[in-house]
Amino acid sequence: MGLLLALPALVLIILLIVIPIGQAIYYSMTEWNGVTSTWIGTSAWTQAFHNPTLWRVLENNALLLLSVPFALGIPLCIAVLLHQKVAGWKIFRSIYFLPTAISWVVIGLVAEHFFAYSGTLNSMLDWLGFSNAHTNMLGNESTALIALGITFIFSMIGTNTMLFLTGLATLDPSQEEAARIDGASSWKIFRHITIPHLTRFIQLAFVITIISAFSALFSLIFVMTGGGPGYSTTTVEFLVYQTGFAQSQFGTAALYGLILFVIMCVVGVFQLRLLGAKD
Amino acid sequence: MSATLVSPPKVITPSSPKLTARQYRRRVGRGVLLVVMILVAAVMLYPFVVMLVTSFKTESQYLIGHGSSLQSWKDLNQTLPVGQELLNSTIICSASIFIVLVVGGAAGFAFAKLQFRGSNVVFLTVVSAMMVPLQAILMPEFVNMAKLGLTTSYFGAVIVYAALGTPFSIFLFTTYFRRIPDELIEAGIVDGLGYTGVLTRLILPLALPAIATVTVLQFIQIWDDLLVGLLFLQNPSQRPITVGLAALAAGRTTSIPELLAGSLVSALPAMLVYLGFQRFLIQGLTMGIDR
Repeated sequence: MGLLLALPALVLIILLIVIPIGQAIYYSMTEWNGVTSTWIGTSAWTQAFHNPTLWRVLENNALLLLSVPFALGIPLCIAVLLHQKVAGWKIFRSIYFLPTAISWVVIGLVAEHFFAYSGTLNSMLDWLGFSNAHTNMLGNESTALIALGITFIFSMIGTNTMLFLTGLATLDPSQEEAARIDGASSWKIFRHITIPHLTRFIQLAFVITIISAFSALFSLIFVMTGGGPGYSTTTVEFLVYQTGFAQSQFGTAALYGLILFVIMCVVGVFQLRLLGAKD
Repeated sequence: MSATLVSPPKVITPSSPKLTARQYRRRVGRGVLLVVMILVAAVMLYPFVVMLVTSFKTESQYLIGHGSSLQSWKDLNQTLPVGQELLNSTIICSASIFIVLVVGGAAGFAFAKLQFRGSNVVFLTVVSAMMVPLQAILMPEFVNMAKLGLTTSYFGAVIVYAALGTPFSIFLFTTYFRRIPDELIEAGIVDGLGYTGVLTRLILPLALPAIATVTVLQFIQIWDDLLVGLLFLQNPSQRPITVGLAALAAGRTTSIPELLAGSLVSALPAMLVYLGFQRFLIQGLTMGIDR
């Protein structure tokens, strides 16, 4: 009876997730254009790792991880601000979470407008009197990734603030009060009571942010830069799409997909330990 | 009035000037807090302000930076078939969410209440499937669907979304059903409700919050998604609005005000769902910790 009820879900997952993983492993060792495939063997993998493009792209992924501390730190500060519950804080909360609802395609379009040569960023520089500091961040190989990182941080603020605020709501106010009466400073209370209490929430936000950094940037990259200029904003997930659909090298694309899969497995082990720790 | 500028005299009782200083600091603190919060709000509202303001300009007004017009809204439907694409998004979202709920709810109930041999191992495998990013299986998935001829109908995209959403749905339903005591279900059977009665009168009402959480999370995720819609719906007339928007943007010939007007239209349904069902979203995100 139990198995029967679980069966439709299991069939769906096996057909559309498990089997394709097996196929991806097979096809990663072939030359494949979607119709015919010729076997190459494991040398496909050694070849792939000798491809400088892959390393360039992995470097982009590594650099994007530098945005993770900001994507956690800024929401933590915002959550603490909201938790002070000044008059009207619920309205502020709704405003802060609102970007969470909109597609990263839309955020990417707006970000493109922000960073464009005639966009908001340069208008702000003009207004501050730094007209000669005009930038074209998305068009420049050395700055495009920074613009992408900033947009990513913005996109994560809502979700992570939501997580931290939920965590703060479960904090026992009498504990803080007692510490305050004992003469502890606000910073000490934050450091020794608030942060330890939030550990689980910070870990969860960390995992969600890392997963997003590796596998949710497609929309942003697609509308903001298309992976360019050059390969300066191509990440592994975007490389899969480019290699497969722009260059029709399905086998190599499947291989890149598996590299992403391995990275996610490492993150996944971390997450399972996180979830398992409660039982 | 100059007295306010000098530090409080230390002649009265030692506690009272300390208190006023603290009150003063507190008041300044609240003021600073409010200013910071308004600044943060301005940053978070920026996308919406840009979309709204820019959509009421023509391309040339946008370039010179002033003036306003309704032209972009009038022309929008020619550039982007808004009505059709909103309908496509709705069809795809509803169908996928329906599958995710039925299939995931049933499996969640099985894993929580009707354990079978090896069900724990299967459950763990399902939960780890949550971590598989679509890009990892994109190529075989795409070729399989194309070979079956499913990339020219809604069905291909719908089952891909359903398969990607199901592991999380199972996880959430299982966690949820585990908290319902067995005795309650047994009592229902003893009282002669029968299996259908237990399902419709006991389990479904109890599962309502979990159903709402899965629905809201999946709606926002699918409505906002690009990759699946871009690849698994090869027929442009079946495109959801997010994909239509991204395809327009990639063309780089569309007027920016029209593009941002379209963005606003595409963002509205998800924003409304979000504003109405915020708490289910939070519930879903924090599922599995501190319980």
